[in-house]
Amino acid sequence: MEKSIETIWKEGFIKNDALVAPKLNDLYNQKSIDIVEKFKRMYKLNRIGVAAFAFIIIPLSYVTKMIYMGIPMSLLFIAVSFIAHKYSKQLDHIDKNTSSYKYLSSFDTWVKDMVSLNSKLSTFMYPYIFIAMALGFWFIEIEGEILGNMLINGIITEFPTTYLVNGFPILLLIPFFLAIGVLAFFGGKIGKWDINLVYGRILTRLENILSDMEELRK
Amino acid sequence: MSSDFYTTQILPYAAIIIKICRAYTDTQEDFEDYYQEVCLQIWRSKDNFKEQSAWSTWIYRLSLNVCLTFLKKKKNNKQNAPSDLLPDEVLVDSRAFADESLNQLYGAIRQLSEIDRGVILLYLEEKSYQEIADIIGTNTNNIGVRITRIKERLKKILSN
Repeated sequence: MEKSIETIWKEGFIKNDALVAPKLNDLYNQKSIDIVEKFKRMYKLNRIGVAAFAFIIIPLSYVTKMIYMGIPMSLLFIAVSFIAHKYSKQLDHIDKNTSSYKYLSSFDTWVKDMVSLNSKLSTFMYPYIFIAMALGFWFIEIEGEILGNMLINGIITEFPTTYLVNGFPILLLIPFFLAIGVLAFFGGKIGKWDINLVYGRILTRLENILSDMEELRK
Repeated sequence: MSSDFYTTQILPYAAIIIKICRAYTDTQEDFEDYYQEVCLQIWRSKDNFKEQSAWSTWIYRLSLNVCLTFLKKKKNNKQNAPSDLLPDEVLVDSRAFADESLNQLYGAIRQLSEIDRGVILLYLEEKSYQEIADIIGTNTNNIGVRITRIKERLKKILSN
C-alpha cells in the first residue's frame, strides 16, 4: 500500500540522521565583503560624478556668464575628486585574508578617517564655494553694468554715510564675512550631514554588523 | 551569540530549522546560509519573544519568515515573480536523505509555492490548524482547505 505523506515524513526522519546542524562559522563573511564592495562602488560613482561636474561646470558657467564662479568651482571639484581617489587607494590595502571582524573593523577605521578628513575639508570647502558663488554673481553683467558695482552703488545711495573699506561698504562686508564665518563654523557638520545623506544607510548597516560581531565575540 | 545560548536555546530546536531551510533551498551552500541567518535572527530577536507562544512555535515562525525573506531577495535579484506563486523552475536537490521516499517528498514540497511549503511543513510537524494559522497569519478555516489542496497536489506530484 502506498504510504501517506505523513508516514513518509515521520519514518524518513526516524530512519536517517540527516538532521545534523551545520556549524556556525564565518557568520558574517559574505556580508562583510558585500557591504565593503557596495560602499566601494558608491564611492567610485560619487568620485566620477564629482570629476564629471568639475569639467561640465566650466562651459556651463561660460554660457551663464558666471565664469568667475565656474573656474574656482571646477578647481575645487578636481581637487576633491583627486583627494578622494588617492584616499580610495587605501581601501585596496585592507587585508581580505583576515577574519570578517578584522576586515570590517579596518574598513570602519577607514570610513571614520574619511569622514574626519571630509569634515576638516568642509570647514574650508563651504566658505570657498560661497566665495566662488559670490564672485560669479558679482561679475554678472546686466545691461553692460557689473552686478557687484550696481550693488555697491545701491547701498551707497541708500546709506550715504556708510563706512567704506577699500571701496566696499561695511554693510556689504559684514554679512559677507558673517556668512563665511558661519559656513566655516558649521562646515564640518554640513560635511558629515552630506556624507550621511549619501552613505547613511550603508554606514548604519556597517555599525549594526560590527556591534553584532562584537557581541558575538564576547 | 554566546555558545551557551546556541546550545541551550537553538540546538534543541535545530531539527525544526533544518527541516524548514531544506524546503527552501536547493544547494548545501544556500542551506547553510539560511540556517546561519535563522540562528542569527533568533539570537537578535530573542528579546522580542514575549512567551505568548511556545519557544518552538516562535522558532517556526521566525525560520519561515527568514526563509521567505531570503527567497524573496533572491527572486528580486533574478527579477522573478513575487512570492506565493509557483516557482518557475523545479528545484533539483543535490543533497540526499538516506530515505528515498523522504527525498521524493522534499522534492515535491519544493515544487509548491513558498507559503504552501510553510503550511505543509507545519502540518507535517503536527502543528494544530490554530498554530499554523497563527504562524502563517491567516484564519483556521483557510488552513484546513489549503492543507487538503496541498496534500492532493503533493500526491499528484509524487505519483508522477
